[in-house]
Amino acid sequence: MSDHDTLLAARTAALRESGWGEGFRFVQPRNLAFWVYLLLVGAGAVIWLRYASTEAAAYGEVLIVATVLFGLYGALFWWFTQRIDRYAHQSRKLIAIAFLWGAFAASWAMAANANSPILSLWGKAFGQAWSIDWGAGLTAPFTEELAKGFGVLLLIALAPRLVATAFDGFVLGAFIGLGFQILEDIQYALGSAGEQFGANAVDNAMSTILMRMALGVAAHILYSAVFCTGLVYFLGRPAEPRRRGRGLLLMGTAMLLHGLWDNIGGIAGSTGYLIPLLWVVVIGLAFFTVTRAFNLSVPRERSYMRAVMAPEEAAGTVTAEELDTLAGDRSVRKAYRKAARGHADRRRRDHLLEAAHDLADELARSGGRDDQRVRFARAELARLRAGAPR
Amino acid sequence: MANADAARPRDWVPVERRWLGLDRATIPPALVVLALAILMAVVVPAVDHAVPGGTRVRAGDEVALRGGISFVPATGWILTDGVLRGREPRAGVGSTATVTDGPVALTVRTAPFTGTPTALLEQIKDTTDALNGSHGLHITGDVQAVQTAGGQRGVIARYRGTSSDGAIAAFVVDGTGVEVVVTGPPDVPGDPSAAIAGMIASIAPEGGAG
Repeated sequence: MSDHDTLLAARTAALRESGWGEGFRFVQPRNLAFWVYLLLVGAGAVIWLRYASTEAAAYGEVLIVATVLFGLYGALFWWFTQRIDRYAHQSRKLIAIAFLWGAFAASWAMAANANSPILSLWGKAFGQAWSIDWGAGLTAPFTEELAKGFGVLLLIALAPRLVATAFDGFVLGAFIGLGFQILEDIQYALGSAGEQFGANAVDNAMSTILMRMALGVAAHILYSAVFCTGLVYFLGRPAEPRRRGRGLLLMGTAMLLHGLWDNIGGIAGSTGYLIPLLWVVVIGLAFFTVTRAFNLSVPRERSYMRAVMAPEEAAGTVTAEELDTLAGDRSVRKAYRKAARGHADRRRRDHLLEAAHDLADELARSGGRDDQRVRFARAELARLRAGAPR
Repeated sequence: MANADAARPRDWVPVERRWLGLDRATIPPALVVLALAILMAVVVPAVDHAVPGGTRVRAGDEVALRGGISFVPATGWILTDGVLRGREPRAGVGSTATVTDGPVALTVRTAPFTGTPTALLEQIKDTTDALNGSHGLHITGDVQAVQTAGGQRGVIARYRGTSSDGAIAAFVVDGTGVEVVVTGPPDVPGDPSAAIAGMIASIAPEGGAG
């Protein structure tokens, strides 16, 4: 077998293992996970619509403002999360399915039903004061993280080849968390609209909206990304060896962070200045944890990118520097950009890298075969390299 | 045979892998998720419903509310929401409290409010009407003045709902609005009105209840 054949075989193996470029069909009548997904997302959507229509009668303006602002906020996070999924891209359709699970099923059809009764049971067992201080932190991490995380079980059953690595769990978990977060934020805004018996509804809601936007960066999106990374490690996948200890540690850490966040009021007590201090500490811990989960899970995705594009480097379609950058981390990308000589060269190098990404995606879609779109993607790279006009 | 398998469409489930037409491999994860949903939506609420709760009010108890408001609950009633003075949580007291006596419930809610008690009652009525529409509580009687033992002046009105009758009272104490909602079935055994009147009369700024 020649070196080129070896590289091509490695490319084929990487594409088969990662599921990169695989299509996803949502409607699967023979798949029970499809029916359970439909049932729970449908039930959650009906419950939320009934809630929202009731609230709209009293706080219609707040509902519109909150939906628009959190919609924009969510779009920003959507863009960012897609941006970090830069190697073996996850299916956009599956990402949308994950988002809807978090928005409707995990929250409104599952966790929301259990949170109040469990808080009530804590109060009955240990008293109201204890429940106010510690109940939320000992309830939501279990109900909400499990409800969100179990969505990944359904996604694995719906698309076993597309949820192949722990990093797939990271990305899908982040989108489940994003869906959960947006609808929870809207609910909080509506809740605060009634704070003064319904007077000054928009003003009250705006302060909650701004607070949730500022502090929400380290909430459900991060917890779910970490939890779902851990869940994939715990379960193991064909492309991700089972690592139960690491999986449990990540899931437990996500739940612990969520619990700490919900119990900040109880921990700080009457010491008011402690609350912002604890916010900073818990947000810092959350960012540290999510960065660790990302760094643990992303190397496998980078190796897929390298395997898919290595034959192109051997054939001279991309340079060794471009291959290293495509499959590299942030510091490698930064070095690639800094190596540019002037603005025009930087722009040209950015275009080359983006075109190389296009080629990688086309190769993944075609299963590594040289079809018309792959050949065109290669031609685009050659055109950009030569500096030819469109 | 390998060739036949390779040619199989991706969504094709071989007959020997089916159960009631479903892909057997998809059944366990789907059932695990469904079981969690049933646990959360059915089992946990049922357990909470089955477990008795609440604190029986003893003589001398005082309920503390956000905004520095307190009231003295009637002895023997059950405190189902809210905290007693002396047992406040570290995170601070809440803005609602409910005491019940059989089917009769008295709920007190506090929040910042700068208008008059009449304006507060009007605000409560508007919000309740908007949220509940024709299914909500409708004020039927005249609005009457009411005064607490400590001299706080407020207003009270009777209302009628689809399955319960009651009264709504409103006070404004030092910039804090106080809403009192009494609910119960139209025919209540015994006469709780004296106990209810006593609780409303006990509403006061912190330290002044009773």
